[in-house]
Amino acid sequence: MKPKLIFGVLSIVLFTSLLMYNFGNSISTYVNFEQAADRSSSHVVGTWYSDKEYGFSRETMQFSFHMKDEDGNVRRVVYPRPKPNNFEQATQLVVIGELRNNTFHANDMLMKCPSKYNDPSEAEFTQAEEF
Amino acid sequence: MIGTIGHLFLAGSFVSAVAALFTYAYSAYKDDKALESISNKLWVAKGALLLVASGILVYLIMTHQFQYYYVWNYTSLDLETQYLFSAFYGGQEGSFMLWVLCSFVVGLGLIRWTRKPYKAPVMFVMTLTQVFLLSMVVGWDILGLQIGASPFRTIAQEMPNAPFIQANPDFVPADGSGLNDLLKSPWMMIHPPIIFVGFAMMTVPFAFAIASLWTKTYHDWIRPALPWTLAANLSLLTAIFLGGYWAYETLSFGGYWAWDPVENASLVPWLIGTAGIHAMIIQRKSSRAHKAAIFLAILAYIGIVYQTFLTRSGVLAEQSVHSFVDLGLYGQLLLFILVMTIMGIGFYLYRYKELPSPEKESTILSREFMTFTGSMLLLILGLVIIIGTSSPIIGRFFVDNPTPPEIEFYNQWSMPIVIIMAFFTVIGQHLFWKKYTWESLAGILTIPLLLTSIASILSIILGDVRNIYYMVYIFAAWFAVIGNAAVILDLMKRKPKLIGGALNHIGFGVLLLGIIASSVYTEPLLDERTANYNQRIAQGDVFDEEGFPVTQPVEMFELELDSPTLINDKWMVTYEGYEISDSPRPGQQEYRLRFEPIDGGSTFYMDPVVYPMLTSSTMDNIEWTVDPHVRTGVMSDIYLYVAGSKYVEQENERVSRGASNMPVSDQQQGELDTEPDEQVIEIGRGQTVEAGEFSFTFRDFSPAAEEELPDNTQIGIRSLVEVEHQPTGDRYEVEPLFAVYTEDDRSYTYAPPLTIDSWDMTVQFTSVLPESDSIELTIEGLSYQFEEDWILVVAEIKPFVSVVWLGTFLLMAGFSVSLMRHWSREKKKQEQEDNEAA
Repeated sequence: MKPKLIFGVLSIVLFTSLLMYNFGNSISTYVNFEQAADRSSSHVVGTWYSDKEYGFSRETMQFSFHMKDEDGNVRRVVYPRPKPNNFEQATQLVVIGELRNNTFHANDMLMKCPSKYNDPSEAEFTQAEEF
Repeated sequence: MIGTIGHLFLAGSFVSAVAALFTYAYSAYKDDKALESISNKLWVAKGALLLVASGILVYLIMTHQFQYYYVWNYTSLDLETQYLFSAFYGGQEGSFMLWVLCSFVVGLGLIRWTRKPYKAPVMFVMTLTQVFLLSMVVGWDILGLQIGASPFRTIAQEMPNAPFIQANPDFVPADGSGLNDLLKSPWMMIHPPIIFVGFAMMTVPFAFAIASLWTKTYHDWIRPALPWTLAANLSLLTAIFLGGYWAYETLSFGGYWAWDPVENASLVPWLIGTAGIHAMIIQRKSSRAHKAAIFLAILAYIGIVYQTFLTRSGVLAEQSVHSFVDLGLYGQLLLFILVMTIMGIGFYLYRYKELPSPEKESTILSREFMTFTGSMLLLILGLVIIIGTSSPIIGRFFVDNPTPPEIEFYNQWSMPIVIIMAFFTVIGQHLFWKKYTWESLAGILTIPLLLTSIASILSIILGDVRNIYYMVYIFAAWFAVIGNAAVILDLMKRKPKLIGGALNHIGFGVLLLGIIASSVYTEPLLDERTANYNQRIAQGDVFDEEGFPVTQPVEMFELELDSPTLINDKWMVTYEGYEISDSPRPGQQEYRLRFEPIDGGSTFYMDPVVYPMLTSSTMDNIEWTVDPHVRTGVMSDIYLYVAGSKYVEQENERVSRGASNMPVSDQQQGELDTEPDEQVIEIGRGQTVEAGEFSFTFRDFSPAAEEELPDNTQIGIRSLVEVEHQPTGDRYEVEPLFAVYTEDDRSYTYAPPLTIDSWDMTVQFTSVLPESDSIELTIEGLSYQFEEDWILVVAEIKPFVSVVWLGTFLLMAGFSVSLMRHWSREKKKQEQEDNEAA
């Protein structure tokens, strides 16, 4: 009974530490564009900066737009896929990729959209009143 | 007004639930029969009051009473009736109500079928969960402490400080903000009710486990609890399937599973529930594993509460595409999970010493050991996924502001676990029905192993599998399919009613095969040029404008109207144009693509759709949503959507031009001297002149109507001119006017330009040359680059998605068979006992 128990405890400890080690390696932290300059891969959270041109270019086959991170830095982002559904609607964007020469090359992009689960902002309300 | 009534009914429902909680507790404690039947009545009252409240909410939605925030937020006037109804559970508050309604019905079943000594304690636990869930929607404000968010609150109550409410407290919006277009899908109508039925039924094993700890009867509880657990699992599985299918068919996510926290949240309780079923089966068959069975039954429900906490408290806000908004229920949700965990785990630990434990260890080659291992593997898989999903909480131990783990984390951990599981299912199933020694087991498994090897080698060769890890995985999956098929063949002869388990395990193997084929071997559809370009990217030969190597391959291609393009060396694909229609969604375009297999198979068409998302489009910005077309096949699916088109681009330009409305004069002043575009041509009657890509044919003069001409006109005439765009053959006829009139003794010419919209060209009749019987035209816009209609296509070929569905259906069938068997046996046994008692 005793050696079996020790073996069991040891394997649980081993399994858990391996799992947590691997988990720790597979997560990273959200950064802003300035911090992203020194990293090879970063997650940046922000919003679409709609004052500048955006759109999909058929020459480079890239979608490009400007994004403002949570600290107010604006950078151009290129994304090698078509413009995602509901891009303009997204209340928040997360781009995952690399910042090179002040252009963020996104490999992946997540959008948080005001779906049915989400309440609209008050701004939307004032707009609704106008119609 | 009606809302206030609804609010009162909700409050009544909550109060009866609290009352039932005390009476059930007391009747369980004192074993008071009379009080128990009063409690049952309270339970029914709670449900009836909630039903009325729900009816009122549905009525408010159906009659478009937009002064209510919930109605305004999730519906609009143009919403179809069926979606108006489903908007009832479209929001956080309504979905809580639906959950309680499902639990109410489950509770009625429990009142009807549960026997002593479990009834009162089981119902006590059920009621406790109801009190928590109902507290989320009562919307009480006690001394500044906000309890729950009522679906009956008005806009004025929701945002009292908004300027328009301050100006007019009785403000009622004319229309609601509408349901998200993506959710207007029949799949989305049935997915939530099924998931809440699953949640409600998963409460039952939890309640029975607590009841068994309470009454210290550790053996009998699984008999009634097992069918409920099976039914809960079947519901959750169906709901997970529907969610995956919806994501695949309707959203352009590109697949059926994305390890999204919300998806994981429904998978984990299912895994733990399945682990619990394994433990319960051992307990029922061999009177062992009591501890595991009780523990897992408790854990499965805690899993559900935990996922509710994660998705509804706002902790996942940044990580998931579809988490709920924070309604300020964080504290209440936290209390919910703490109470459930402390009651469940705490009670379990308190009684732990009393729980029966087996006298001697089971040997490795026993059904107890094998089934228990299966249970533990499922639990481990569930825990791994919980850890990944909890990254916003657990991740803080590693970094500040943690991101979700990479998808690889889930894949790397689940793959070895399911490989081990696959082997264990076969050995476990064989041992479940017969006793074997190592030798006899090896004997009986020889033929399945042989067949597995053949099937694996064939799959590896045909699928061109290079990765050794995948080879092992494929072998394990085939072994699960073939080994369990052998068990079924044997059982069919002897006990055909007992095939549920073996069917499930085959389904598991089939699912594994489908998952690897459809996820790892998905390939993009590409034309030759793009494929070559991607090859150069892979070799590192492509650099961007800043000199960095391009690493991302291009996974889309362009098609021009009516020009067949060879795709993947397999099909000639032709874009045949699009049709615009207003049904079911206004302004939607259906594109038509013809696929002709070059090896002579039959031609087929794909019709992806693009539509403007009306709920979120504005006057100067249309938001387009794509609706992919999935061509389902036995061998492979083709998944295709239109990511861009000339029509969409033109619409966008038109709308943004309309919005900016640049003053024309400004523009003209700047360009006045340049006007590089303008060209003057002379054409004789009946002749044709070519200019750029266009040809102009002057057919004849035609008289101009008097009223179109200025006063004092001396000459007024029109010319009939045919303009043709030569590359396409598109042609227009124009009749520009030329007039000479006098004013104050001076002659003026009047030559209004005509515009050909689709080419952005203007034609002006600037002079008549009578001596040569010719006219002079001034043309603007000749340099217009005519563009062929085009679309941008993203498409993938996904092998064997059908096998994923087949595996899921087999699992559903297996659970259904087991459910029916256990249910009918319980009923029979109960009737027997009733007869004996009478």
